[in-house]
Amino acid sequence: MRELSTDVVVVGGGATGVGAARDAAMRGYSVVLVERADLGQGTTGRFHGLLHSGGRYVVSDPGSATECAAENAIVGRINADAVERTGGYFVTGPDDDPGFADKFLAGAATAGVPAKEIDVAEALRCEPRLNPGIRRAIEVQDGTVDGWQLVWGVARSAIGHGAKVLTYHRVTDIVVRNGAVEAVVCHDAKTGEDVRIACSFVINAGGPWSAQIARLAGCEDVEVIPGRGIMVAMSHRLVNRVINRCIYPADGDILVPVHTVSIIGTTDVRAEDPDHLEIPRKEVQQMLDAGEVLVPGFRTSRALHAWAGARPLVKDSRVSASDTRHMSRGMSVLDHAERDNLKGLLTITGGKLTTYRLMAEHIIDRMCEQLGDTRPCTTADEPVPGSESGHNYLVTHRLKDREAERAPGSGDVPTDPIICECELMTRSMFLDLFEQQPDAGFDDLRRQLRLGMGPCQGGFCALRATGLACDAGHADATAATNALRRFLTNRWIGLWPILYGDQVRQTALDYWILQGTLDVEHLPETEEVAS
Amino acid sequence: MKTVVIGAGLAGLVAATRLAQEGADVVLATKGLGGLPTSQGTIDVWGYRDGKRVEAPLDAVAAAPAGHPYAAIGVGAVKDGLAWLAEHLPDWLTGDAAANVWLPTAVGALRPTCLCQPGMLAGAGATRVVIVGLARLKDFQAALIAGNLTRTGRVEARAITIDIPARSGEADSSALTYARAADEPGFAAHLAAAIAPSLGSGEAVGLPAILGLHTPGVGRDLADRLGHPVFEIPLPPPSVAGLRLNDALTTLAKAAGVRVILGSPVTGLKAEGDRVRSVTLASAGHDRDLVADVFVLATGGFETGALALDSYGTVTETALGLPVRVPDGDLIGADYWEAQPLFAAGCAVDVSMRVLDAGGAVVHPNLYAIGGVLAGAQRWKEKSGDGIAVGSAMKAVAAIMGGER
Repeated sequence: MRELSTDVVVVGGGATGVGAARDAAMRGYSVVLVERADLGQGTTGRFHGLLHSGGRYVVSDPGSATECAAENAIVGRINADAVERTGGYFVTGPDDDPGFADKFLAGAATAGVPAKEIDVAEALRCEPRLNPGIRRAIEVQDGTVDGWQLVWGVARSAIGHGAKVLTYHRVTDIVVRNGAVEAVVCHDAKTGEDVRIACSFVINAGGPWSAQIARLAGCEDVEVIPGRGIMVAMSHRLVNRVINRCIYPADGDILVPVHTVSIIGTTDVRAEDPDHLEIPRKEVQQMLDAGEVLVPGFRTSRALHAWAGARPLVKDSRVSASDTRHMSRGMSVLDHAERDNLKGLLTITGGKLTTYRLMAEHIIDRMCEQLGDTRPCTTADEPVPGSESGHNYLVTHRLKDREAERAPGSGDVPTDPIICECELMTRSMFLDLFEQQPDAGFDDLRRQLRLGMGPCQGGFCALRATGLACDAGHADATAATNALRRFLTNRWIGLWPILYGDQVRQTALDYWILQGTLDVEHLPETEEVAS
Repeated sequence: MKTVVIGAGLAGLVAATRLAQEGADVVLATKGLGGLPTSQGTIDVWGYRDGKRVEAPLDAVAAAPAGHPYAAIGVGAVKDGLAWLAEHLPDWLTGDAAANVWLPTAVGALRPTCLCQPGMLAGAGATRVVIVGLARLKDFQAALIAGNLTRTGRVEARAITIDIPARSGEADSSALTYARAADEPGFAAHLAAAIAPSLGSGEAVGLPAILGLHTPGVGRDLADRLGHPVFEIPLPPPSVAGLRLNDALTTLAKAAGVRVILGSPVTGLKAEGDRVRSVTLASAGHDRDLVADVFVLATGGFETGALALDSYGTVTETALGLPVRVPDGDLIGADYWEAQPLFAAGCAVDVSMRVLDAGGAVVHPNLYAIGGVLAGAQRWKEKSGDGIAVGSAMKAVAAIMGGER
C-alpha cells in the first residue's frame, strides 16, 4: 500500500470538490483530492451549462438570486476561459401569465439582479428563431459555462497551490480513531494499488454519492436522494442567448447555447441509484414540447445527444438549519462532529455550479473554525491558469485559433491536421493532452477537447483518435481498440434515446462507416465492454 | 417504353443501364450523388449471417428467411447481377461469386466481401504484410491497422509511415486529393522510392485506396517497381474505391443512353387509377412531372433520407409516401453493438419488386422498389447491401422487360 500524508483530503472531483481543494490549498493547507473516475464526470458535467444571472430565482428564492448575481461576476473573471458571456432573456410565452414578469422585475430590483424589460420586437430581432407569439421579454446577464473547462481550470489552480489531484481513486475506507478521522484509503483503478492518505480533515464532496462516502466513516443514516434531470443538446445554436421561460421554475423552461449546440433542460424525478440514470423517451418528448414553445420548429430541429444528471438532495433531520453563517442557498452541510460525534469530517452537497466558489469558501471557513485557524479566503481574487487574460471565450474561439495557424505569414506549411472537424480539434490538441494524461480514456479526453461531441458523434473522428493513440505509442492496438469500443458504446447511451429526424440519418451513415465499411464489430475482442 | 429510375446509387445505376441496354427510354432522376462514393468499393453479397462468417454467399442468399429482400430476389438475380458487373467493369471488379474473400479494413479487421477491385485482391490471404501510412492522410492509421491485423492471428503485420504530399503546402489531404495526385505520372515512382527501403522479403504492401481515381494500373505499376504484391484498403468517405465504381457505372449508364437529371429530388407521384402516371420532380423554379410507363424507386434507406423517422416515432418513405413495413417492438435499442430494428424498416415488395401495402397487395402495378429502400435487411451488419441492390435491380428489370406489369 502506497502511503501519503496531508492536512485535508477532499473526496469528489466535481465543481464543489475542486473548489474546496483550491480554496484549502490557497489558504496554505496541504490537500489531496480523490475522485473515483475523471474530474467533472458526475453532476458537474451533466447540467445545461447555465451560468446563472440570478434571474431564475428572483421570485422563488431572492437570497439565491443575490448570491448568483455576485458569483456570476466572480466566476466570469476567475474562470474566464470557461465562460461565454451570452446574455439571456426571460420571455413570457403565448400562454404564460404576463403578470409574472412584473413580479420578476420587482424581485430582480430587490435582489440586485440586473434585469431590463425590452420590446418584444427587439428580442425577436436579436433572436429571430424565438416564438413570435411571446408577450414580454426581459434581458438579464445569464452566461454559459463549460463545466469541464471550469473544473480542470480550478483543479490546475489547486495543483499550482500545492494540492495533489488523484483521479480514478475510489475511496474504500475512512479510518477513524478516538472519534476523529485519521486517514482515507483509496483504490487506484489504473494501477490496482491501494493508497492510504493520513489526514486531519476530510471534506466529503461526493454529491449524489456522498451518503456512500459518509457511511465509510461510520455515519450510517445520511440520506441523499438523487433527483434525476435530463438535458437534450440540439445541433447548432438555435439561439445565441440563454432563453428562459418567464414563469415559476418548471420542467423544460430553459434553452442554453453552449459551444456549438443548444441545450434544453430539464426534469426532476427521484432516482434510486445515481450510477444508473435513465433518459426516458417520455421526458425527451416533454423537452421537445417545451422547446417548441420557445422556438417554433424545435421538434424538427436536429437533436444530437441527451444526458441525465443527478442533483443530490439531502434529507436529514439533523442538518443544522439554524446555522446559516456557513451556508449558501441550496447547499447542505452535515457537520459530523455535531451529528455523529466524529471530528474532522464535513459533508457538503447541493448548490449550483454558479456558486461553486462560494460554497467552497463557506465549507473551508467552517473547517478552519473547527481546526481553530484564522485563514481568509482568497479564491475570488486570483484567476485560474488559462484565465489570466480575463477574456471570456466566444463560440468562434476554435475557428479563430485554426485560422491563425493557417494564416499567411504564420510560419511554414501548417502541419497540424484537424482530427474532429465538427469541433475543430487538431491532432496536437489531442496528442498533447494525452501526453499529460496518459491514463485517460477517450471519454476523459472528450470532456476536455469536445472530441466526438458534434453532429457526427464520433462517426469520423473516433477512428482517427484511435489510430493516433496507437501511432503515438500511448496505446497498443488492443488497448486502443478497447478504448474505441468503449467510446462508441458510451456515445450510444446519449444517442439512442433521442434518435429521430436528421440524427437518424447521421447514425445510419456512422453505422455504415464503422460497421459496414470498417467492420469494427468483428475486430478481435479482448474484454467485455462495460456500458 | 418510357421509364423513370429515381436514385443514382448502385441499384439505380444498374437498373437504369440495364433498362437502357434492353431498349427502354430511361430517365435517371437523382437528388445528388448516390451511395457508392460512401461505400467500400467492393460488391458484398452476404458476409455475416447471425453474426457468423459466411463463406459461400450465394448459399446464404438461397437460404434467406422470409421477409428478407433476398427471399424475394432469389439466387438467380444476384448471380446475374454479379456476372453483369464483372463483365461491364472489368477494370474495377474481379472475383468468384461462389466464395467470399477476406480483405483488411482501415481499422485492421478482416472483412468478407464477394467481388473486389483487382488492386485489393493481394490483401486476401496475405500472411506477411507491411501497412504503409501517409503522414498527411488522417483516415488511414497504419499502426492501428497493422496491430489489429496481427491480432486476428491470420496475418503478421507491421506499420511504416511515409511522408509524400499530395499537394504542396497541405498537411491535411483527403483520399480524393491523393487519388488525383496518383493519377499523375510519376506518383507511383515517388511512392516506390519511399517504400522500397523498408521492405523485407516476402512481404505484401498494404496502402490506403488512393492509387488513382481513374487510372486502373497505378497499383500494378507500384507492385512492379517494388517487386512485392501491393493491395489497397478502402477508406471512410470520401471513398476513392467507391468513387471509381460510381464513375465507371455512371459513364456506362450515359453510354447506354440513360438521361441523368442530377440535383432535383422527387417529391411525390400522380396516379391514374392504380397506375402511377408521373412523379414530381422539384426542379429549380418549379415542379415538373416526369411521365412514364414504369417507375423504379432506388432512393436508399435512412442514410440517404429516403426513409425517415420523425420525433413521434413514425417511419415514412419520403419521396413518394409509399407504405413501409416497420419491425414490431422497439425500433432502437440501448446496445450499440446489437442490430437496430429500425434499419430493417422499408418497403415490402413481391417477387417482381413491386411495392406492397400492409395487406400484401401490390400498390401500383408499374412501380418497383430496389436497393436500400427495401425492408428486411441489416445491410451494414450483414454486409449485404450491394448484392441486394444489384439483385433487386436485375429482378425488377427482368420483370419490367418481361412484361410482368
